[in-house]
Amino acid sequence: MSYRIPIGPYHLALEEPYKIELDCQGERVVGATLKVGFNFRGIEWLAERKNITKAIALMERVCGICSNVHSMTFCMALEQIGAVEVPPRAQYVRVVVAELERLHSHLLWAGIAAELIGFQTLFMQIFRLRECVMDALESVSGNRVNYSMNRIGGVNRDIDHPEAVRQAVRQVQDTMSRTLIPLFTTDQTVAARCRGVGKFSLAEAIAYGAVGPVARASGLDTDMRRDQAYLAYNALDFDVPTRTEGDVLARIVVRALEMLESCRIIVQALERIPPGPLHAGDIYTVPPGEAVARIEGPRGEVFYYVRSDGSDTPTRVKVRTPSFANIPTVTAMVRGCDLADVPLIQAALDPCYSCTDR
Amino acid sequence: MSAAEIRKQIGGSWEERGDGWWLSLPPEQIRAAAGIMLAGGARFAALVASPGSQGEFGLSWHWDLKGTLLSITATLAAGRPAPSIVDIYVGADWAERETRDYYAITFEGREATPTLMLRAEDAPGMMLPPAEAGRP
Repeated sequence: MSYRIPIGPYHLALEEPYKIELDCQGERVVGATLKVGFNFRGIEWLAERKNITKAIALMERVCGICSNVHSMTFCMALEQIGAVEVPPRAQYVRVVVAELERLHSHLLWAGIAAELIGFQTLFMQIFRLRECVMDALESVSGNRVNYSMNRIGGVNRDIDHPEAVRQAVRQVQDTMSRTLIPLFTTDQTVAARCRGVGKFSLAEAIAYGAVGPVARASGLDTDMRRDQAYLAYNALDFDVPTRTEGDVLARIVVRALEMLESCRIIVQALERIPPGPLHAGDIYTVPPGEAVARIEGPRGEVFYYVRSDGSDTPTRVKVRTPSFANIPTVTAMVRGCDLADVPLIQAALDPCYSCTDR
Repeated sequence: MSAAEIRKQIGGSWEERGDGWWLSLPPEQIRAAAGIMLAGGARFAALVASPGSQGEFGLSWHWDLKGTLLSITATLAAGRPAPSIVDIYVGADWAERETRDYYAITFEGREATPTLMLRAEDAPGMMLPPAEAGRP
């Protein structure tokens, strides 16, 4: 018997609005349609009506998890238009904050995944660990959500307490490698719930334009940090974990391994951070021009297009978030799956509806 | 296929900039270029629309191949539809729907372009000046 189940806009796994309508035959999902836009704030429209200094603060409000990458990518687009050189020390500070943000984003996601799998203890362990990373971010920026680190041509604050960051990284490294990664990769409950679920092929990843861990778990070897080597990433050693299975388990493994790579990056960046200024001076306008800036956010490639007419207000700001690219992939992933697996498949995308709706 | 091979197959005068490679094409050549991008393994990244001063739109389609940005721009005369590439890149669906939401641009070659961010009953063109969007 065929029937349609409307789910949402209250989300199955996350407290964000989004609607999915599932076409089912018995317990088998045969198709899905999505509805987003419940959180639409018109951020691009707003950005084109504010001066660039105010727009930097606005861009941090695109997302409550990866707030830093949005202000950073926006600044990088403006720096490209204005040929502004970011001092080396500022580039390292940006790397450290971006990687701490990746850690807390991945840990948030891992906690939610653990809860969905039915592993409450693991959820609590992961959230305790995430708290250490949040504390490190607070020690750097004074904030836990919107860090206000970025400005055109550099950063607003230095890393005054590198030992607090190192300590958080050590804790993440120890717990991830000794407990969480073995659990996620060898536990029978996790494997039974995740292996072979939500399959997504490499060809589909290309056609859908999937990004970040979702793409890498399907064998699409892409990472802007390595491929474009922006900021100080080309001076740091790290690997880009990929998997070819394209299932929920592969997405879990990719993110778990990425956390260890982020720890490696932060440790190296703190060791090698050069002395020098934090920014290139006060910049309130950039010359006329246009630029695309792309960086690797926790959920994948963040894409910004900015156009300037030389005034203090951008004439066009386009924000393509990773979740905007990844969420449509769920229609392919749920096709043929059991109805009970839909929440886990959706959560395995690490979707952010705030980012998507902007 | 490498980014250089894709550029060669598409042809035209590509310009290398700080952010990647850019090419300007007439709108009717976009679909052929998208087909070459897919055959070359390039990932569709974004569609950007920017309004001009005479009612025309600048559209740019962006692809990524191993970190190299390949961007193709086209100018759309006022009131003209844009070519849809959804049948080539299913990932362009939301990008085209959002572009219609924002600028009331229609896409030729797809059955329908439903709203994405707006509600179904909302008029498209929320980023247009009120007079052009038919709003008070």
